[in-house]
Amino acid sequence: MKKILAIMLVLSMALGLAACGGQKAPEKTKLTLWCIATESDANRPAYEQAIKAYQEKHPDIEIEWSAFENESYKPKLKAAMSDPDSLPDIFFTWSGAFLGDFAAADAALCLDEYYKPYASQLPEVMLQNSTYDGKHYAVPLTMNIVTLFANMNLLGQVGWDHVPETYEDLTACCDALVAAGIIPFGCAGKETWCVTEYLEPIIEKTIGYEQMNEIFAGRATWNEKGIEDSVAVFQEMINKGYFDPAGAGLGNDEVKAKFISGGTAFYQNGSWNCGEVNDAGDYFQVALFPVMDASRATYGQVIGGPNDALAVSSHSKNKELAAQAAFELGRDICHYGYLAGSGLPAWTPDYDTKDVKPLVAAVAEMVKNSEGMVLFGDNAMSGDPANIYLDYVSKVYGGEIDGAGFVAGLAKDLQ
Amino acid sequence: MSKHDTRANAVRNTGKTAQVIIYIGLVLWMFINLFPVYWMFTFSLKNNEEIFGKNVVGLPQHWLWSNYTSAMNTGKMWRYFLNSTIVAVATILITLAVALMATFALTRMIWKQRKTMNKFFMLGLTIPIHASVVPVYVTLSRLNMLNTYWALIIPYAAFSLSMAILVCTGFMNEIPRELDESACIDGCNIWGIFFKIIVPLMKPAVATVGIYTFLQCWNELMFANIFISKNDLKTLPVGVQGLSGQYTTNWGPIGAALVMATFPTLFVYIFLSRKIQESFIAGAIKG
Amino acid sequence: MKKVYSNKLHLIIFLLPALLLFCGVLIAPIGASFYYSLFDWSGFGAQKTFLGLSNYKELFTSDSINFMKALGNSLLLAALSVFLQLPLALGLALTLGKKIKGERAFLSVYFMPVLISTVVIGQLWLKIYNPDYGILNVFLRSIGLENLTRIWLGKKETALGAAFVPILWQYVGYHMLLLYAGVKSIPAELREAAMLDGASDGKVNRYIVLPYIKPILRISVIFAVTGSLKSFDLIYVLTNGGPLHATEVPSTLMISMLFLRNRYGMGSTIAVMLIVLCFAFALLISAIFREEG
Repeated sequence: MKKILAIMLVLSMALGLAACGGQKAPEKTKLTLWCIATESDANRPAYEQAIKAYQEKHPDIEIEWSAFENESYKPKLKAAMSDPDSLPDIFFTWSGAFLGDFAAADAALCLDEYYKPYASQLPEVMLQNSTYDGKHYAVPLTMNIVTLFANMNLLGQVGWDHVPETYEDLTACCDALVAAGIIPFGCAGKETWCVTEYLEPIIEKTIGYEQMNEIFAGRATWNEKGIEDSVAVFQEMINKGYFDPAGAGLGNDEVKAKFISGGTAFYQNGSWNCGEVNDAGDYFQVALFPVMDASRATYGQVIGGPNDALAVSSHSKNKELAAQAAFELGRDICHYGYLAGSGLPAWTPDYDTKDVKPLVAAVAEMVKNSEGMVLFGDNAMSGDPANIYLDYVSKVYGGEIDGAGFVAGLAKDLQ
Repeated sequence: MSKHDTRANAVRNTGKTAQVIIYIGLVLWMFINLFPVYWMFTFSLKNNEEIFGKNVVGLPQHWLWSNYTSAMNTGKMWRYFLNSTIVAVATILITLAVALMATFALTRMIWKQRKTMNKFFMLGLTIPIHASVVPVYVTLSRLNMLNTYWALIIPYAAFSLSMAILVCTGFMNEIPRELDESACIDGCNIWGIFFKIIVPLMKPAVATVGIYTFLQCWNELMFANIFISKNDLKTLPVGVQGLSGQYTTNWGPIGAALVMATFPTLFVYIFLSRKIQESFIAGAIKG
Repeated sequence: MKKVYSNKLHLIIFLLPALLLFCGVLIAPIGASFYYSLFDWSGFGAQKTFLGLSNYKELFTSDSINFMKALGNSLLLAALSVFLQLPLALGLALTLGKKIKGERAFLSVYFMPVLISTVVIGQLWLKIYNPDYGILNVFLRSIGLENLTRIWLGKKETALGAAFVPILWQYVGYHMLLLYAGVKSIPAELREAAMLDGASDGKVNRYIVLPYIKPILRISVIFAVTGSLKSFDLIYVLTNGGPLHATEVPSTLMISMLFLRNRYGMGSTIAVMLIVLCFAFALLISAIFREEG
């Protein structure tokens, strides 16, 4: 035991020392970057290409980057905020309230003065989710919306050759699917954000995007008949057996895998899945959730927006360089990510887009023609309210409360 | 056949049936405990389709050894493994040294607050590791120790300390005090007693403390994720976790990485199990 | 001798490293946690509001936090651990302690789950419980008990039990090895003397073995209870506190307060309560064992 320990120690120390030596390269300015593009993330190649391109253009600057798993990245970043000096120069962030908290705590740098040179490529409207008190705090990468993926093979079995575009058609289609023993929808109950991907479009298509934005921002009350009705519609769909009951205890990976392998006919989730669904077969189509109340909403209204973004630490030693790098990297990550199908561009493409995957192109078209946008609820609200909101959504999915309970509870807890 | 004989036979027979039942139970429990190892190994050789439903428990239809190459190529698995080893070995050594010294003071030396101090150290068994993340982070950051091995070694050693002292106390109380006395009469000072008498007799404690400390730090994720940001210093659990992404996840290589993270430990354990068990017995905690 | 062992300078030298490490990493953060538990603070930024003890009040009264439920769950786990897991571990230890054939092999295999990381154990059990293709439901269907199949981790009624099984299972080996070591350390003469007096196996266990290993049993019980109160990893992987908070335990609540809900003060309050509870239980268990003896 002792010998083995001793050998292990000597070996490991030697290797450790060896790793420390040989680092005497010529002095370069070093910029650190944290992101969540881990080795198997769909965005990984986009980051790699973008960083390579940046290094070639700026040989005197070294980007030292590191990727962390999505869920554990949040505590990591929040712990780092407790001593802002330990933040990296550039860090990945979600827009909306997540970044808003950091902006309010002065940990993220205001990017207004660095934005100008890029204004022609990056429309200002794309910055709105990372703008607080009229100041811009992040560089958006990709944008995503909630889309309804459909397996046309399964729909074909019950006589549908297109994705239903009205609610009546959708129910008729679902009834036919259920009758044929096919499960219409898959939804991961273990991850509540997946439930919001179903509930939020129903709400939006009932009360319209303007009212929904007001409510998410806390300027209008949750106590609204339209939301109550939306919840009722959602729960009716669940009760009619449109949703896979197994989904209640599953994570999103399992639910998505089930959809792709033909286990469910529909899967409503973020458009970042386009690339993966597109590559799984040519019989998948993408659409939006139908309109519920035509007097208040239109088909082209979507849930989503630019969400993934890069922010710069206000404690960075090279603020200007870091800000410029954030813009240049953001532009290129967006470029390569779009071509790979892992998201839609927040930056205006100035390159050949004919190789974009068909499903991605279809969603890009939807975004271009969008008639209004609402950011994902759990991103629009800050930490505590967002979790209270998710809590109520999971209660709706679990059948604990009905529409009245949902609006009354949120009106009470979130005002 | 006398009456006495039949009774003895009956006893022997029931004894045998009982034995058989006990064995069946033991073997069954053995399979239940071996299953995860089998499952993890086969999982590491399958593709997503088999993992998610098509073939969860069976042998892989195609043995995808390529999962291992892609795990090796994408993540720096060897580097992570090395880092974990460095951290674990250093943590075990530091924990042992510090715990032996403290236990010596707590069991041998004469002072008033001995009992209270012992209880104070036992407080450590009750503290949830997650509660101290942020304060420890800020301290490490101020001391410029983030992104070094020390950022993990020191907290891990501290969290292993209570258990180590508890175990060492059991061992050290077993060492007869006459040994100290005679060493003292032979002219040994306190250092002599500690290094020449006590420490050599504490050998069995090394395995027990080592195993506990190892368990504490080898799979730890929270500290490792938050205190280390440099790719070259990441440990295995963080590295394995890094294989799963926000948008896409390919599970086969993750399985391969899990096998690479776990099997060496299992082999070392099997290889040393006799020694470990013996030292556990020698040091059965005497409260 | 006495003089050698009474030197205050030597005492300090021997104790100082441990004290520094212990206070710096464990005790100081408790102090910090207690301090933060008096504030409304997001965990970053300068804005802090002093609240006094109202975080503690909210913790015990708020329906949306529902700490009592989480605490109840972890106490249930502690009870199961003491009354199911430990007896099983003890039974194994006693059986293996009798020089049974294959003793070493059994012992080694039983300890293996302890060595495997929680992430692996968690993923394995997720597959076992999967409603569609999970081994459990497939098995029930194959023996014609279709009506017993459940969405184990997705329904409030079954999720808690389903999440507890792996936790209890994983650490049977840990307690077994502790207790086995105790059983083996019993002097052979003691056991033989009892056997010569005609005592049965059960009687030997009851009157010789158990009293002898009582100090180890006490440690095992303390570990089982404090471990249950602090349990986090497997719950996090299996259910993350859901569905509808049915499997919430104090640690999952604490993590979500500290790092997701930006309520560092409330998270610290839960941390303080956990430490106090664990310590109280440790003292209580020690007292019970002393009473018995």
